[in-house]
Amino acid sequence: MNEFEKLEAELKELRPLPPCDAFTARLEEALGDAGNVAMRCLPDQEDDASPDDFIKSTEKKGFSSRLLIFAGLGSLGLAAVWAAIFYLSSSLVPNGSSEQNDSANLLIAESGPVPEAPGAGLREDPDSPLHGISLKELQDVSVMPVSGWIDPQINERFLRRVDEGVFDRPGGLPARRVRHYFMDETLWSHPASDLRILSTTPREEVIFIELETY
Amino acid sequence: MNIDNMNNEPIWKSWFARHGAKLLLFARQQSRRPDEAEDLLQEAFVRIWRLYGHTGEVAPGLVYRAIRRIAIDWARSIDRRKVREDKVALDSPLSFSFDRTLEQDERKQALLRAVERLPAEQREVLTLKIWAELTFDEIARTLDESLNTVASRYRYALQKLKDWVPEEMQGKPEDSSPTAS
Repeated sequence: MNEFEKLEAELKELRPLPPCDAFTARLEEALGDAGNVAMRCLPDQEDDASPDDFIKSTEKKGFSSRLLIFAGLGSLGLAAVWAAIFYLSSSLVPNGSSEQNDSANLLIAESGPVPEAPGAGLREDPDSPLHGISLKELQDVSVMPVSGWIDPQINERFLRRVDEGVFDRPGGLPARRVRHYFMDETLWSHPASDLRILSTTPREEVIFIELETY
Repeated sequence: MNIDNMNNEPIWKSWFARHGAKLLLFARQQSRRPDEAEDLLQEAFVRIWRLYGHTGEVAPGLVYRAIRRIAIDWARSIDRRKVREDKVALDSPLSFSFDRTLEQDERKQALLRAVERLPAEQREVLTLKIWAELTFDEIARTLDESLNTVASRYRYALQKLKDWVPEEMQGKPEDSSPTAS
């Protein structure tokens, strides 16, 4: 057993005084941007209604929520394809001879009742975002409501930082270049149907930290 | 970038909450004047954090080393007369750097008085070993001394404390002048 063990234990019991708050504030000011380069996420608070709430709730819902979003996006895609086909077929209707029209009518007559000619019933719906398709048709095909969406909520999420080393700036002073990666998230919500669509866009931000030469 | 909105906290704050008290204690020992210690710590910490803070974790030994080197630089930059004057001003009790509640504990007070009597080179090794919790290897690199020298100073310091604490308890220190070993 170390002969000084008791003495060392006694010394360790003495706790040095922590720096005062004013000094910590002074340090924060002196650090500037360098102090914000490395960050850690604090635990979420249940009662804290932060702007990130919608993201958290989406993440909590997990797979089912994502499935709903994918289904919604898929429906939108289908609606767009359907609208494109509809538009193309209406614009490609031949304006040729009566013989061609007759033969076409004959073929149609043989196959059943005569439908309305494509494009004949086209009526512009001022509320619809797609040409030639009414709001109701779009809703029926996409299985998504077209109106009633509230303003999108935008949020930025910090992902990681990468230190890219020291660079010589044109002024001559060296600077450390740190690249921050963010994910910008936009959420569209439709309260009536509880439908939400989340769009994510990656973004980069470069920070130069001045270095002192000493 | 609004850090509050992101619910994030700069890592340096939690790092400093862990090491700040020990660093300040060492800075007080290294500085020439009591009011210089905070400036010394700020200068050292900001330099090191700007260089290595992006990693999210900085070895405390780097900041201790920076404190010591900056203290030496500052001491060289002022004239000798002023150093002598400031050295007198530095002689504030070590107990001011520790939790005041121990004022009621007579043995701990005696222990601190004994630490104050130690030669400066032994006191700085003791501080780095006991309160900064550095290894002998880290202390040797911080002080630019050999491992054996550092370990010897530590052992001498403990031996002196062991002898002096009973004297301090009785209030009769036989030899209060710092002596190098």
